[in-house]
Amino acid sequence: MIELLSRTFMMGTPLLYGSLSEVYAERSGVMNTAIEGIFLMGAWAGFVAAYQTNGNLAIGLLAAMVAGIVTAALYGWICVYLKQHQIVTGVAINLLALGFCSFFQRVIFGVPVTPLIVQPLQPIAIPFLSEIPVIGPILFNQNILTYLLFVLVPIANFVLFKTSLGLSIRSIGENPEAGDVAGIRVDRLRFLTILFAGVMCGIGGAFYSIGYLGMFTVTIIGGRGWIAFAICFLGNWKPLGVLAGTLVFGLAEAVAIYMQSSGTSLFPNELFIAMPYILTIVLTVARRSFNVPASLGVPYRKEG
Amino acid sequence: MAVLAGLTVSGLLLLFLGENPLAAMGTLFGSLFRDSYTFADVFVKATPLMFTALAFAFTFQANLFNIGAQGQFYIGAMTAVGCSLLLQGKMPGLLVLVISAVLTILFGGLWGGLVGWLKARFNANEFLVSMMSTYVALNLMNYLLRTFLMEAKGEYPQTDALDSAVWLQTIIPGTRLHTGFILAVLSCIGIWVLLYKTPLGFRIRAVGQGKDAAEMAGINYKTLYVVAFFVSGALAAFGGFTEVNGVQHMLVQGFNPDVGVAGIGIAILANGNPIGIIFAAILFGALKVGGTIMGQLSGIPSSITELMLGSVMVFVILAYYVREKLEDRREKTRLKKAVSV
Amino acid sequence: MSAPPFVELRHISKYFAKVIANQDVSLQIRKGEVLALLGENGAGKSTIMKVLYGLYKAEEGQILIDGEEKVIHTPKDAMKLGIAMIQQHFALVQAHTVTENIILGLVHGRFDITHYDKIVAELAASHGFDVDPTAVVSELPVGVQQKVEILKALYQNAQLLIMDEPTAVLTPQESDVLMNFVHQNTRAGKAVVFITHKLREVMEVADHIVVMRAGKVVGDLRKEETNEIELSKLMVGREIHDRTYVEDAVFESQPVGLALQNVSIRDPKENIFRIKNISFQVHKGEILGIAGVSGNGQSSLCDAISGYRRLTEGKILLNGQDITEQTARERIERGIGYVPSDRQRFGLILSMKLTENMFLKSSFEDTWVKHALIDRKRLDAYTAEKIRAYAVKATGPDAVARSLSGGNQQKVILAREVDRGSEVIIFDQPTRGLDLGAIEHVHRTILDEKKKGKAIVMISTELSEIFGLSDRIAVIYKGEILGIYRNHDLDTHKIGLLMAGYTAETR
Repeated sequence: MIELLSRTFMMGTPLLYGSLSEVYAERSGVMNTAIEGIFLMGAWAGFVAAYQTNGNLAIGLLAAMVAGIVTAALYGWICVYLKQHQIVTGVAINLLALGFCSFFQRVIFGVPVTPLIVQPLQPIAIPFLSEIPVIGPILFNQNILTYLLFVLVPIANFVLFKTSLGLSIRSIGENPEAGDVAGIRVDRLRFLTILFAGVMCGIGGAFYSIGYLGMFTVTIIGGRGWIAFAICFLGNWKPLGVLAGTLVFGLAEAVAIYMQSSGTSLFPNELFIAMPYILTIVLTVARRSFNVPASLGVPYRKEG
Repeated sequence: MAVLAGLTVSGLLLLFLGENPLAAMGTLFGSLFRDSYTFADVFVKATPLMFTALAFAFTFQANLFNIGAQGQFYIGAMTAVGCSLLLQGKMPGLLVLVISAVLTILFGGLWGGLVGWLKARFNANEFLVSMMSTYVALNLMNYLLRTFLMEAKGEYPQTDALDSAVWLQTIIPGTRLHTGFILAVLSCIGIWVLLYKTPLGFRIRAVGQGKDAAEMAGINYKTLYVVAFFVSGALAAFGGFTEVNGVQHMLVQGFNPDVGVAGIGIAILANGNPIGIIFAAILFGALKVGGTIMGQLSGIPSSITELMLGSVMVFVILAYYVREKLEDRREKTRLKKAVSV
Repeated sequence: MSAPPFVELRHISKYFAKVIANQDVSLQIRKGEVLALLGENGAGKSTIMKVLYGLYKAEEGQILIDGEEKVIHTPKDAMKLGIAMIQQHFALVQAHTVTENIILGLVHGRFDITHYDKIVAELAASHGFDVDPTAVVSELPVGVQQKVEILKALYQNAQLLIMDEPTAVLTPQESDVLMNFVHQNTRAGKAVVFITHKLREVMEVADHIVVMRAGKVVGDLRKEETNEIELSKLMVGREIHDRTYVEDAVFESQPVGLALQNVSIRDPKENIFRIKNISFQVHKGEILGIAGVSGNGQSSLCDAISGYRRLTEGKILLNGQDITEQTARERIERGIGYVPSDRQRFGLILSMKLTENMFLKSSFEDTWVKHALIDRKRLDAYTAEKIRAYAVKATGPDAVARSLSGGNQQKVILAREVDRGSEVIIFDQPTRGLDLGAIEHVHRTILDEKKKGKAIVMISTELSEIFGLSDRIAVIYKGEILGIYRNHDLDTHKIGLLMAGYTAETR
């Protein structure tokens, strides 16, 4: 049971990186529909960099962040500055990322005889804190990316609601003209939130390749970037809501893995693999967009 | 023009890798004509793509996003295979095919229509729901392949081969080209007529382009949402039928994994126009077939085709932008000239 | 006076993709004065001020502040120079509070909202505004939202306040209060630019007047030097007279075309009544004008009659038959036409061609269908005929609706609704934003339809329009009808009180 809860936090980590950044992007009025592609680029870049430097995960993470930012910048440039359709562009970028990663993976590594592995992130037990019964092993025996989130979530919440930057971001997502008139550079701020998403989603993607599995395949993300996207929506565009949503999905995934490995044949394996996706459908239906930022998805076009 | 740009960029990439892009392109396109089998294969590959592209394009006209074509495709494939395996040998092949086709349309339509209904009734985000439904369909298929549909031998997660009586007719002997291709082209034309020439199609486009005005005009957008998704799902599923009964003649785990995504790309390339989809799908089929051969012959990985499709799409989007800007600028200079006269 | 004016615009020209908005415009703004910028809709008055405020970039010309040339690229530049602008459609974030809106872009780093709440409260009190800083903007009535916009400008210590058609959303009494505020402001040494198309307001509020027409300045005078007649000649090239009502003695003897009995619509989400207990009758051949400040339930009333929203209570009868349960589509078939106030959202599909827009309400009928396909030739011919009959400036039935000007778009909607509305036609703000020529045309059409014996409901915030056309007048306030009167039984003063909610009992 404790193992299960601990895994929840672990599996929720990449989802939280993704959905937290999605909150910022969508609050500013832009949907990051390239999220799946950015995750993939992060996973790939992280893996390649780590592998080529003999398992140096720090370099891997750095590469993942760079890959994430570059991909996000392309998406942001087209959607924010060129004002093109966000969903269509997202699909294009996702396709591009898929092609890019599968192509270059082949080019760099050819067809490997044995699967390429990198030693993934290991959990770091915080001394003393991880000894506390029950919550110790759950919360304080995680890897560094998860620990980072302990700090990032409250900061994200604070910035969004208690600083002028947060106020500006929230305002341009509701009424970009109001922001423009108040002197806020709408496009620039939106572009910045997308870049932020690039960094965060790059890390999120890298989690799957070098943080957990230790390898890379083009199907490694398997739609979980989109689950992060959905969590932003389900968490009502609030960092704390998103945290709750992430834990729910993290739990679903942890349960799925547990069921598969424990070999219980009561329900077919596939049902558990499908669980997170079914859950997304159910929750998407149940939640009827409460706090949608009013200008979400609409590029800001000034007449002059 | 954007297509050329995308191809050029991919070509440059190849250069970067020390290969000769022109030679590679030459190999790619030249290989298509080396024999009739290869040439026909382009159209074979294009067939399911036309269906999934139509599926996305149809709902796109209603400003809805059906990302679940891949899943609906699988549902269609499962229905077709199940039906064929069950009925083959017990009745004439043609009848089995017809029943399979009808059931495929029904189940695919229901699977897709469910998404539309959730959107109409609960205003659920159809983008997410349809996307997730693909993963559900995938797992369902894997489960079935492991259990009910599994081959008699029980070795691999796949079905038995279908009896040749229930194969779709081959049109050109010596190739894999089957009647499914004709059905695909007919579907494209049919959908085009439906969308642009009938009142129903008009209403679907009206809801997509001006939902509020349409509602005020007495058009029930909720019903149309369900209809659009039903048709969309049915189209994608039918693609599954043509693949199973026309080419594969069995159901294997993980087959045609990118037909949904590629379909979306093709629909966008063709700007949602069903006639354009015919050509875009054929182009992509050519890239796929040629790319595989190029991979075998010259050592350049065939996955460059995805890369090319992606970059082509990006350039198409950029092209829209450029065109918009040029229009604006042209109008402004025209005005300035008029004023200074 | 040898001191340079506070703001000077020299030879400004501004083009948009299809139209010349400003051509060689020059004007001066002085502190301690109210400058009225007068012109009909489409003359270019808003545009020139948006250029000054940094929302648009001029193609030619210069801006001088206190005699020095300045470059204004964004509103932030303008604000730094002390210029603030209150737009027609408020630039407020509806979901945020008053304070959050006011401090947007003006605070840095972390802030404590309660600290600013206090500052805003003090600022409001010092100007006599009754505004709660913690209130959410979307819940405030329109008149108060305007005050929030003004507070925002005051908070920034603006030296020049530009107001774009501010009285459009106010009752006559509230307009008076606003005028007072404007004079107070200039007495304190600030400058105000008042953009309007209403002649009466100009004479009331202005010290200096600039008249614009078709993008050019055609008059630059002091108020003492001119009068309404001269101004109207400058504005449109001829004298404008408000339409005078032609008494109709016959209509009350006609049968009742449209009747509403105790109609209410409740909003389930916010649990308030959008319209409550509305009852009235409209005879065939009668125009019932419904006056009221926008935001008092007019749209919900239209929704009720058109069938867009279901009633919570009450009945609607068309020619004596109960149509309460009928859908929008059925009502269209029965001959209810509706010209909505938000034309571009509810009236037309901008991205579609004119032919398709004309077909919008007819797609269920067989008239236009041949062999299950749309009879395009017939539709095109029909549309071309309408374009001719209504003098719509468009390239033909294939023109995309978006390419038409506002006035021409309205003509297309009129053509369609007049045809479809064989029994009843509802007009909601039919002339808002239109130039005088188009306004004339719309009024003539409405009167023509009245002559044909249709029951007409006309909702408007323009009192001159209400008084000019209506046989009877109803006033709507907070979702209720406060009274129905014959045209000659009301005047501006009385109707103003009604619009603000004062009935005979509460006075």
